[in-house]
Amino acid sequence: MIQEPFLHSLERMKSVQLPNGGFPYHAGEEARPDATAWAIIALSAYAFDRESCNRGRAHLVSQQAKDGRLSISPAHSEASWPTPLAVLAWQESSQSHEAQSRATDYLIGLTGQHFPNPDPSISGHDTAIRGWPWTADTHSWVIPTGLAILALQQMGLGTHIRVVEGQHMLVDRQLPHGGWNYGNTFVFGKELHPLPESTGVALQALAGATPIHEVQQSLDYLLHELPHLRTPLSLGWALLGLGAWGLKPPNTEALALASLQRQERYGPYPLPSLALLLCAVKASQGLHSLFNASPREMHSPSTHASGARSFFR
Amino acid sequence: MTTPLTHTEQPTLSRRQLLQACLVGGGLGVSGFSLLRWFSSTRLTAQTFIGHAATYEADFALLIRHGLQELGVTPAEIKGKRILLKPNLVEPHETLSHINTHPLVVRGAVEAFLHLGAASVVVAEGPGHRHDTLLVLEESGLADVLYEDRIPFHDLNTMEGLTIRNLGSHTKLATLTFPRLVQEVDWVVSLAKMKTHHWAGATLSMKNFFGVMPGNYYGWPKNVLHQVGIPQSILDINATLKPHFAIVDGVTGMEGDGPIMGTPIQAGVLVMGRNLPAVDATCCRIMKINPQKIEYLHKADQWLGPIHESLIEQRGESWRAVQTPFALIPEIPAHQGIRLG
Repeated sequence: MIQEPFLHSLERMKSVQLPNGGFPYHAGEEARPDATAWAIIALSAYAFDRESCNRGRAHLVSQQAKDGRLSISPAHSEASWPTPLAVLAWQESSQSHEAQSRATDYLIGLTGQHFPNPDPSISGHDTAIRGWPWTADTHSWVIPTGLAILALQQMGLGTHIRVVEGQHMLVDRQLPHGGWNYGNTFVFGKELHPLPESTGVALQALAGATPIHEVQQSLDYLLHELPHLRTPLSLGWALLGLGAWGLKPPNTEALALASLQRQERYGPYPLPSLALLLCAVKASQGLHSLFNASPREMHSPSTHASGARSFFR
Repeated sequence: MTTPLTHTEQPTLSRRQLLQACLVGGGLGVSGFSLLRWFSSTRLTAQTFIGHAATYEADFALLIRHGLQELGVTPAEIKGKRILLKPNLVEPHETLSHINTHPLVVRGAVEAFLHLGAASVVVAEGPGHRHDTLLVLEESGLADVLYEDRIPFHDLNTMEGLTIRNLGSHTKLATLTFPRLVQEVDWVVSLAKMKTHHWAGATLSMKNFFGVMPGNYYGWPKNVLHQVGIPQSILDINATLKPHFAIVDGVTGMEGDGPIMGTPIQAGVLVMGRNLPAVDATCCRIMKINPQKIEYLHKADQWLGPIHESLIEQRGESWRAVQTPFALIPEIPAHQGIRLG
C-alpha cells in the first residue's frame, strides 16, 4: 500500500510527461534526459504506469547520439553526464537493449582528464586514477563516477576494469574523517568538508565491492547527518547509500514524508529530486534493489554490512 | 540589457591619436602636464562607495539605498526594472557563516531595489561545489529570509542555457552558456563576499559570477572554467555578461585559505559600485592586497574598468580608514607577492 503523499507524487510526475514522452525538470519546461530517466526509474520501481515508462524510454532513445551518449542538451554534447541515468532507465525494457548497449560502450570508453599529481601538497588526491567527468575533457569527480559505476553494475559489468578502477578512485577520494566532498580531499593541506549527496552516491557505488571497515567513517557520517536532512536530493542519496549497506533506517518513510511536506514552503520539487526520493523510499537495499534483474557479479550488501553500526537500532 | 559601461564608455585611441600622443610625448618635459591631463581624461573612471557596518545588525536596506544614491542610481533609473541579485553561496555549512553572502545583506539589497521602484527582484545562484542547491540555501540561512519575504529564488545550475558568443576571448571558449534568466532581467547585481581565494588571490564581485554558469553544462565545481583558466574565465564571463552593479559583503569576510577553508575577519564594510573591477580593486585595497597583482584585475584594467586608485572616485568611507589586512598564506602561490606595500 503506497502512502497518499507518495502516490500523489507519482501522479504529479506522470501528469507532467510531455507528448514526446519526455519529462521536464520543472512542469511547463521542455523534456530533459536526466529528468526523464529519473521519472522512468521511479515510476517503474512503483510499477505505476508501464505505458508512460515505455514512452519515456523511447524518448530517451530518440535523444541518444550515434556514439551512445545522452547529453544534457543537443547543443552541449560534451555534458554527457545523464548517460548512466539513461542506462538505468532502460534497464527494465527489452526494447531498449540496443540503445542501452551503445550507452554502455560509450561509458566504458569515456574518462575524465587524468595525469600524475604535480604537487600533492596542493591537491591531495591521486589525480591519475580514472573515473568519469561531468563534462568532456575535465577531471573525474565523485557523483558522475558513482553514477557510471551504478549503470555498469546494472549491466553486469561490476568487475570490469573501469568499474574497479572507478571504485579505487572513490576510495582514494574519501575524506580521512569520513564522507566525500565533490571530489577533492585536501587542498593546500586542509581536509575539505563532506557532503551528504556525494557521500550517498559514493557509498552506493562501493557497496558489495569494498570492505566495510574502509567506509565505516563515511557510514557513520551519513547516519549522523540523516536526521537533519530534509532536502530530497541529499536525503534521497543518503538513504540509498545507507540502504546499499543494509542500513536503510526504519523511519525512512517518515523522513521522506517530512521532506515532501516542505514543498509547501518551497514549491514543487524538481522532478529528478522528487523521483530520487521516491526511489529511496521504495528501495529495500539501495538503488540496485529497485530493478527486477539484480546486477550480476554483485555480492549481497547485507553480508558486508553485518558489522555496521546503526543509530536506528 | 544595458551595459555597465553606459556611463563611462570605454575610450579607444585611434592611430592618429596614438601618433599624436607619441609625438607629444617627446616633449613631455615641457608639456607633460597637459599630456597627462589629456591621457587621464581618456581613461576609464568609476565611483565606488564604502559603507560602514560593524555587524550584521546594521540597517542594510538603508545603507545600500544610501550607497545607491551616492553612486547616482536614481529611482528613475530603477523604476520598473527587473533585478537579479547573485549572492555568493559556494559551499556553506551551518556553523561557518563567513563563507557566503550574509542573508541580511541579501534582504537589504532586495528592500533597497524595491524601494527605488524595481518591478521585481529575484535571487539566483548556482553553487559551485554542491549539487544540492536547496540544502545550500537552507544551510546558509538564506532560505528562511527569502521565504519570509516571499522573494523568488532560482537555481542557476539547473536552468536551461542561453549560449552566446564569448566577448572576452581570454579563454579558448568560443561561446559561453548562461542561464536564460539573465536574458529576462534588466539588471544583474553581484552580491559578493569579501574573501581571499587560494587560486585567484581574492574572490569578490567579478569572481562571484562563476556561480552564474550552470553546473549542468560546466560541471561541479565548474570544471570547464577551471580547465580553461580561472582568471581568464572571470574576464570572459564579465565581459560577456556585462553586469550592472556590485555589492560586496565585507562586514565579516574570509582571510587565509579562502574561499571555503579560511577564517573569519571583521572588515565592517559594504563596498558598492557600478563598475566591478573598480569595486574589486577597492576591496583589495581594504584587504591590503595590491589589485595590480591580482591577474584578472590587472587584465581588466582599462578594458572592463579602472583599477588604479586615481581613477576611482571614492564615496562614503575612505578605504584607508577601513583598511583591514586580510591574512595571506605564503605557501599558496596565488597569495605570493600580492600584499599591498
